Amino acid sequence: MYMKRIRHGWPLLVAVFLIYGLDRPWGAVPPLGRLFSPFAGFLQNVERARDTMSGSTVLPGLRGEVTVWYDDNAVPHIFAENDDDLYFAQGYVIARDRLWQMEFYTLLVAGRLTEVVGRAALDYDRYHRRIGLARTAAAITRRLEQDSLAGRILRAYAAGVNAYVDQLTEKMLPVEYKLLNYRPERWSPYKSILMLMNMRNTLNGGSHDDRLTNVLARYGQDIVADLFPRYPSVESPIVPAGTPWPFTPIAVPARPAAITAPPDTGGWASRVPEPAPQVGSNNWAIGGGRSATGLPILANDPHLQLTLPSIWYQMQLSSPSVNVYGVALPGTPAIIIGFNKDVAWGVTNTGSDVMDFYRIRFRDSSRHAYWHDGQWKETTLQVETFRLKGEPDVHDTVYYTHHGPVDATNGLAMRWVANETDGADLLTFHYLNRAANYGDYVKALSYFTAPAQNFVFAANNGDIALISNGKLPLKWKEQGRFLLDGTDPAHDWQGWIPRAHNPGVKNPPRGYVSSANQFPADTTYPYYLGWRFAHSARALRINERLDAMTQATTDSLRVLQNDNFNGDARRILPRLLASLAADDSVRTTAEYGALRTWNYRNEADATAASVFEYWVDELMSELWGDDLPPDEQLLYPDLDRTFELIDKAPGSRWFDRSDTPDTVETCDDILRSSFKKAIRKMTEQFGPYSEQAWAWGRVKGTRIMHLVPNLTSFGRTGVWNGGGNASVNATSITHGPSWRMVVQLDTTWPTGFGVYPGGQSGNPGSPFYDNMIDRWAAGRLDTLLFMKHAGEPSERLRHRLVLEPEMK
Amino acid sequence: MVYILLLLLGSAASYFGPWWAMAPVCFIVCAAVRPPAGVAFRISALAGITLWVGYSLFLYRDDPAGLTGKVAGLFIPALPAVSDVPPVVLVAVIAACVSGLISGFSGLAGARFRQLISGS
Repeated sequence: MYMKRIRHGWPLLVAVFLIYGLDRPWGAVPPLGRLFSPFAGFLQNVERARDTMSGSTVLPGLRGEVTVWYDDNAVPHIFAENDDDLYFAQGYVIARDRLWQMEFYTLLVAGRLTEVVGRAALDYDRYHRRIGLARTAAAITRRLEQDSLAGRILRAYAAGVNAYVDQLTEKMLPVEYKLLNYRPERWSPYKSILMLMNMRNTLNGGSHDDRLTNVLARYGQDIVADLFPRYPSVESPIVPAGTPWPFTPIAVPARPAAITAPPDTGGWASRVPEPAPQVGSNNWAIGGGRSATGLPILANDPHLQLTLPSIWYQMQLSSPSVNVYGVALPGTPAIIIGFNKDVAWGVTNTGSDVMDFYRIRFRDSSRHAYWHDGQWKETTLQVETFRLKGEPDVHDTVYYTHHGPVDATNGLAMRWVANETDGADLLTFHYLNRAANYGDYVKALSYFTAPAQNFVFAANNGDIALISNGKLPLKWKEQGRFLLDGTDPAHDWQGWIPRAHNPGVKNPPRGYVSSANQFPADTTYPYYLGWRFAHSARALRINERLDAMTQATTDSLRVLQNDNFNGDARRILPRLLASLAADDSVRTTAEYGALRTWNYRNEADATAASVFEYWVDELMSELWGDDLPPDEQLLYPDLDRTFELIDKAPGSRWFDRSDTPDTVETCDDILRSSFKKAIRKMTEQFGPYSEQAWAWGRVKGTRIMHLVPNLTSFGRTGVWNGGGNASVNATSITHGPSWRMVVQLDTTWPTGFGVYPGGQSGNPGSPFYDNMIDRWAAGRLDTLLFMKHAGEPSERLRHRLVLEPEMK
Repeated sequence: MVYILLLLLGSAASYFGPWWAMAPVCFIVCAAVRPPAGVAFRISALAGITLWVGYSLFLYRDDPAGLTGKVAGLFIPALPAVSDVPPVVLVAVIAACVSGLISGFSGLAGARFRQLISGS
């Protein structure tokens, strides 16, 4: 009997075992049964003509009917009867296209990736918990939920996202959930705030403080002052030099005698990354005096890491109180960069020094108390719990001083504007969406905390303006340039620059405003903002071109956005080539020839651009690598100071390599040896010199990868384009213009143009996943369909989706 | 006939049920119809393969964004030997293996179960 049961029962066991085994992941192998079932798996994500988009759906929570028109680029145009429904519909519509992405960002910022990818993400998560973003997001959410307007917006948006989450069936799940084997959580106001925290971290989450403090410890004040000046030798600040400051400065806290408390050991290594030089942006607006129509034109292109799904999502939001077009951040209410009937606005990162570190004296190794202002003060502690996929929980204790969180690895506390909990950043965008004039713009900006942005503005009454906006700490000169003393209250952040004193300019005589992350103001500005801003090459080029513009059109500005001119090459290459000309072995080479006849443009087919870029990189490490090795946590001087030394101080001691005590290298020696090294490196990587193999577009090899690095086949590689870090078209390998927008203001109806390197859909199975990449790489812009009302006919409208309230 | 029945019931169950819905269908049909064990396995496996591969190819025929290739591409780094295999073939083979084995063993289990309870 027993044997018989086994004989007859074993196939059932095998079947059950197979189902169990194929229903779950094994290591990196996804659940094959579920994934490859055509009924539930990835093939259900294949999207054809977006046929699912037309029709109507009943959504509990709506008060009135909402019409959503999708145009030929899959951009939704939402028409609602009130603002609650508008934000509800925005959440619903974005979730349909980007749910996986927006949830992924919240997991990343909150340090919860271990829950979906396991132990591999633990260090990454621990870092994000230790810098305090999730804790701050929770505090901001608690406060905003009491705010009658912000709380309402956040709740309506979350309800819209959840209306979609509630509709999701297994087969409708975005393919990433199927691959990584988890399900979406419900959305909440807290998660929308986490999205904004992600931007704070991206744009304000870097620091040079550790490396510069180490330089100070090794070489002293004079050398730091010489190699790391507080203002560049060549600059074109955002507020034009000579603009009078329209305010009486307030008193700045007194500068203490000791401005730093260096660490005991030389090589202080912060876990905070260095600011990424590729994260920057351009924006400008020309006044009517320079435009063909006599009304302003505004342009903006924020440079971020290029990813799929894209960081931006185009949409039009319309209700009785607003009609606005632009890009939203998935997960966040309102339009972040865009335009309405009367005004247009855009942002670039300000990049002032808003992250400082304090050396803390703890009473004992328990870290429960620290010495400050002559007394012991209690730390607060927060126990962080990490839930690991398939493993027991891991705990970590984070200590907080009044400055901010303490880095467990080195005991330093961090004061960071990203952890400020006041303000209501999202209201800035809510009000900008509705702005009709300069006064509305200034009022809207007053709600904004961080990350400080240079908000460019133009209105159809002719006004143009640009304000570096956000909370900026009121510091004594050089406060926070080096590691600070956590026991000394004079080293605390002691206040804020009054908002009306932030650098800004309205309708300047030169007829345009612009920013490219450079110094907001020259040395006449009465407050200390920081010592290093973005390299000035882009700013100089933009202002030079704008200075020359008359009768400009939207296309003039599109061309400038795509300008590949390399300002650094014009500045320094003639001097570099002069040193090569003296070397017979170099003068006859094809590489030298290419550089000599180059027009300084980083075009995709330019081989000279490749050689120049590699050469400058080698030059930096040849010149500074011996005295300031990065692996000893020391900082290189910037390009501006380096070029200035080559130009004006070729006899400087820094050209003599300290690792060759028997020989004295000159500036020319370094230029020639770095050139030869660059050529050797390129030959190894790309083969011998040829027009094809060394073309800049190929050497640079811009790639736009999926947010999950392992999903390589979901990304695009080898995108053919020009540009670079010293060009207005700041496209590098991994970063670049994440949205290009040009808006012609008009008294009747504006015309907007835009494109971003991706597509509206976050679904790799959709034709709208990456359909804009080729147009973006070619420098083209789409004409944006900005509808006057829901009934306006247009040949470009494709699908109509009606969101209906539940019948009462 | 059993094959047609498996296809009809299997597609309905798979459309509305979980991804492994073919398994109970094969089990119940084979328990009810009582084919010989070998036939039960073969006919169930064949129906499972037909259903999954057929529907996969139906969906694949209009895949403008090439999702099949993108998903197949995720497996290539781990399986360099199949890098020259067209993605749709790779997907079809995996679908056939998964569905064929589960359906086949479920059908066999159904037939055996019937033998067990009817004592033959």
